[in-house]
Formats: sequence, C-alpha cells, structure tokens
Amino acid sequence: MPPVINQELCVKCGLCAQICPLDVIKVEQNVENEKNIVVKYPDECWHCRACAIDCPKQAIKLRYPLSHMMLHIEVNEQERGI
Amino acid sequence: MKATVRKDIVKTDVLIIGGGIAGMQAAITAAEHGVDVIVAEKADTRRSGCGATGNDHFMCYIPEYHGEDFNEIIREVTETLVGPLQDMDLLRLMMKRSHELVLKWESYGIPMRPTGQWSFMGHAMPGRRRYHLKYDGKDQKPLLTKAALARGAKIMNKTVMRQLLTDDAGRVVGAIGINITNDVPEIVVFQTKAVIIATGNALRLYPGQNPAYSFNVANCPADTGSGQAMALRAGARLVNLDQPYVHSGPKYFARAGKATWIGVLTDFHGEPVGPFVTKPTKELGDVTADIWQNVFEEKMEDGSGPVYMNCSETSEDDMQYMMNAFLSEGDSSIVDYLDQYDINLRKEMVEFGTFEYNFTARGLDIGLDGGTTLPGLYAAGNATGNVRGDITSAAVFGHICAENASEYVKTQPDYDVTNHAEIAKEIELIDTILGRENGATWREANSMLQQIMREYVGMKLRSESLMKAGIKYIRDLRKYSLNQLKADNAHELMRTLEVLDLIDVGEAVALMSENRKESRGRCHRRSDYTFTNPLLNNKFQTIAKTKDGFQLEFRDKAR
Repeated sequence: MPPVINQELCVKCGLCAQICPLDVIKVEQNVENEKNIVVKYPDECWHCRACAIDCPKQAIKLRYPLSHMMLHIEVNEQERGI
Repeated sequence: MKATVRKDIVKTDVLIIGGGIAGMQAAITAAEHGVDVIVAEKADTRRSGCGATGNDHFMCYIPEYHGEDFNEIIREVTETLVGPLQDMDLLRLMMKRSHELVLKWESYGIPMRPTGQWSFMGHAMPGRRRYHLKYDGKDQKPLLTKAALARGAKIMNKTVMRQLLTDDAGRVVGAIGINITNDVPEIVVFQTKAVIIATGNALRLYPGQNPAYSFNVANCPADTGSGQAMALRAGARLVNLDQPYVHSGPKYFARAGKATWIGVLTDFHGEPVGPFVTKPTKELGDVTADIWQNVFEEKMEDGSGPVYMNCSETSEDDMQYMMNAFLSEGDSSIVDYLDQYDINLRKEMVEFGTFEYNFTARGLDIGLDGGTTLPGLYAAGNATGNVRGDITSAAVFGHICAENASEYVKTQPDYDVTNHAEIAKEIELIDTILGRENGATWREANSMLQQIMREYVGMKLRSESLMKAGIKYIRDLRKYSLNQLKADNAHELMRTLEVLDLIDVGEAVALMSENRKESRGRCHRRSDYTFTNPLLNNKFQTIAKTKDGFQLEFRDKAR
C-alpha cells in the first residue's frame, strides 16, 4: 500500500484524502463517529506524493512496491565483477 | 445502491471540464472577462492531473532572450520533442502568445525564473537554440487554484463529468456529472452556454510496462480520455488518434520528466548510444530519446540493450540542480526512491524503457479560437489533437478558449435543460451499474480492453485483419460491459465510467488506424501497407460520429 500514514502523527484533518488525484485515500468514520484516514485503494496510487508533500504533520511516507523496482547497475564493469 | 440526483440544476455561463493546467488557466481568464465560470474537477484542482505536483519545462519564445528570429524557434520546436502532428498556424499562435502566459504565471506567484533570469535548459540539440524555459512548477496547481478563486471562478472538486448535453442544432448547452465526495454518488446536471474541455490524455487504454499495475504509468492515470469520449458521443470531431505518442523513463518506475535527467543514455558498457552528448550538462542533457524514440526497445530486441541513464559524468553542481529539478517537475518520488534504496547516481546507472502508447495531444480538432466543430464547445491542452505543446498548449489554449468562450456566451440565450432526454438515460445507466449485486468489476473490463488494444491495434504491428477483429472485440466488450459492470460506491462508479469512456476512445483509435492504409512513423506500422504514402504527408485524419455512423476523413493539416 503505497502511502503509509503514521497514525500517531496524523491529526485526521483529511487533507490527503481531499487532494489525492486518484481518490486513493478515504476518510472513514467508525461506530463511535471517530474519523479514520484509510488508504483504501493502494493499487491506484500514482506515486505523485501529493499526500506526503502537503501533509501538515509530515505523517505520510510512500512505500514503493516491488512491482515498481527501479532497475539499476554499477557504472564500471570492474566494480560489477563481470 | 442508487445515486441521488441534485435537485437544482447548476447554471453557469462557462463550464470547464477538468481542472488541470488548461482548465485552471481557462477559469482565471474567463473570470477576468466577467462571466460566470465553474470548473468541474474529478479530484481537487490543488493537486490534480499531469501537473499535480509539478512541471519544470515551459516551451516558450521570449523575444528579449531569443531575439527577433521567431522562425528559428519554430524550427527547433518542430524538429525536436513535439514532433510532426502540428497544425502550424496553431503552433505559431501558441508560441507567439507563450511569453504573455509566462508573465501571467509569474504574476500568480509561480517561479518562472527561479534563478532570477530567464533560463532555458534541456530538450535541445548541441549548437541549437533552446526553447524550454526551466521553471519551478511544484506549487503551480495550488497557485493557479488560488488565482482562479481570487477572480471569482467557482470550483467543484470530486465531480466526475460524464456527458455533454446538446440542443437540436448540435449546440452544447449543458452536461451531466457525478459528485463522488460521499460513498453514495450524486448526479449533478449543469446548464451552461459554453463548455471548455480541459481533460487530458487517455491513459490505461494500452497496457504499461507492468500490466498488472495499470496505475504505474508516466502520465496521470486519472486521465482516461473522458473529454475525447464525451465530445465524440456528442458529435464533435477528433483528430490524430491513429498516431499515438510514446514517452520513456525509468523502465518499471513510470514517471514523466525524461529531460529533467542530466545524464547520457549509455549501453551496458557505459558507451553512449546516441550522437549528441558525451558529457552532460544542465544546458544539454541527452536528447537522444526525444529524437530516436525507439532506442530502448530496438536495443532490447536486437540484444544490444539494456539502455541506461548514466549520470556518472554529471558535475556535482549539475547533480544538485537535477535533484532540485525533479522536485519542480513533480518527480519527488524519484528522489525519494533513490534515497530509500540508497542508489547513488554517481556510481549507478538507471535502466530506461519506452512506455505504452498514450494520447498526449491526440483528441479534439480545434481552430484558432480554441473552438471545436460543435458550437459552444472549446478544448485546450492534452485533450486537443492538432497542436501539441504540453504545459504551453494547456496554458495558452486554456487562455484563448476562455477569451473566445466569454464573448460567445454573451450572444447565447438560456436553454432550459430540465427535461433533456439524456438526463434520464444517464440516471438509468448509473443506477443499473450501482444496482447490480453480482457482476463484472471495472478492472476486468479495463484489462481486457488493454489486451485487445495491445494485440489488435498493436504497438508492434498493425494490419486490416487484426484491426477489424479488434474493432469487433472492442464492441463486444462494450456490450458485455454495459450488461455486466457493477459498482458498489461512488469511487468504483468513477472507475467504471472511465472504462466505458476508454472503450469509446479505443474504438475510435481502432477505426482510424484501420482506415490509415499506410505505415507512418514509429507508432503506426502496418504489415499490409509497409510504405509511407507521401500524399498523406500534410494531412491529418479526423473522426466524427454522425447519425449515419462514424465519418472518417483525411484533411489538410491547416483547418
């Protein structure tokens, strides 16, 4: 699930849910009417980081799934051991 | 579940569909002209669309920097990134007015010269003039939103637009949208004198590098060709859908901003694959992939790949400049990823790849006033099909559309849409989708559409038999989708309607591609017509839906 919300830092303001371009994050209410910020559609995250950039408490980090691995390799062949 | 329907029709002079760069510029300009204007945006205009968290290149001609030779800049534009699909009259108009828009953006607080001077960097060939202004767009969306609200424009966020309403003469008089703020969707009917389509690309039509994750695409995956689809259904003419565009970047980590990288494209051994640059600088990154768009797949297919972005020769200053530019460009996830995985670009090369077919600036056929072929319907930015300029075309044509729409609406009477026949039809469709207890999900339909597009209206090879079969399969998919798709809440309804729009765009792409009986460029290679027909060199193909079916035509590029 790409955005990971630190629930201890989160003040439930809901800004992330409001601005997410993909509607990935939702504000849900439990039976006691307490607000909860839920990453409801993690597969629809575009990794734009709007939520992380705008969070007033810096409570959001992105996790990059293995399906999105950025392939990389050392520049020098010698260092690669090839 | 059933949708609710808002009791009062929302009335305005100008309705803007899509609150990206084009839509927000149009809102600002329309409000400055004193007309009532509403932006309907499916997300939130502060962070939506391809420019959500930034852009860093604004194509423009600034006389005090470039001198008086306008033609030289036009030549650079046509020979590099933005390619051949340009109506030259529209392109010249766009570049002529680009400076004016740059100054407007500066007045909204967007840093257009973060270094204090005009600075043109990247997307250029050695020894040639550069025309991409390097700016800091990371807060462009909140700033454009602020400027629009300050001038009196109204914004309706979380409002997914679905259908245009026309009168008997084909004039656009309204639209139907869905408010997805709550789990239960709310249908909203708009009555308006003009509509500006400012939606974007058609992503999720072709499968990306990693088909299992269809939102892992370079451009904003909320852009699903809905503007093109609703315009087509309403009878407007579209252009150039048979000649898609491809972008490239980190292979399985799809982000745009190829030219933000300051490096050289090299092979596995660190040897440059292109002729342009050996030592990269911020002024001149490697333009190879702008010009040789096939480089990544060709070198995979002939075994001489992979191809890497190699920044090991980039100076320390330029490296820092690049990292800041990623933030300006909305690519902070690249910086974050490199940091999280401890990848040092001084020592490591990142593999690049070609992304899927997309429809950047393939869509509505517009004139010099931004008007489409339907009265009262204007279009700007990536949803238009006969001019391309990325941020520039969005800003300039958003502005031009609003200038002209604001005059047009003064000549138009009110048209009461209360009993428009389309409204009942849309409510029935939406309630049917919401009412199904068992049925197909939008993902099923979207993945089948991607498979059909890849195999039958293909990225490798096209032919009459493949495409005619593809058209049949797309139509079957539409029929089955309408009979089976279900959605359990407003979010799923949005995705479902997006797929129905993509099916309409896919059908138009297939019809136009089948009708182009030649091979042309990188993206339209036919096994049954392997040659390029010179008679079509200065022509565009258009499509429009009439009561007698689809009408396809080749016309001169200048409208």
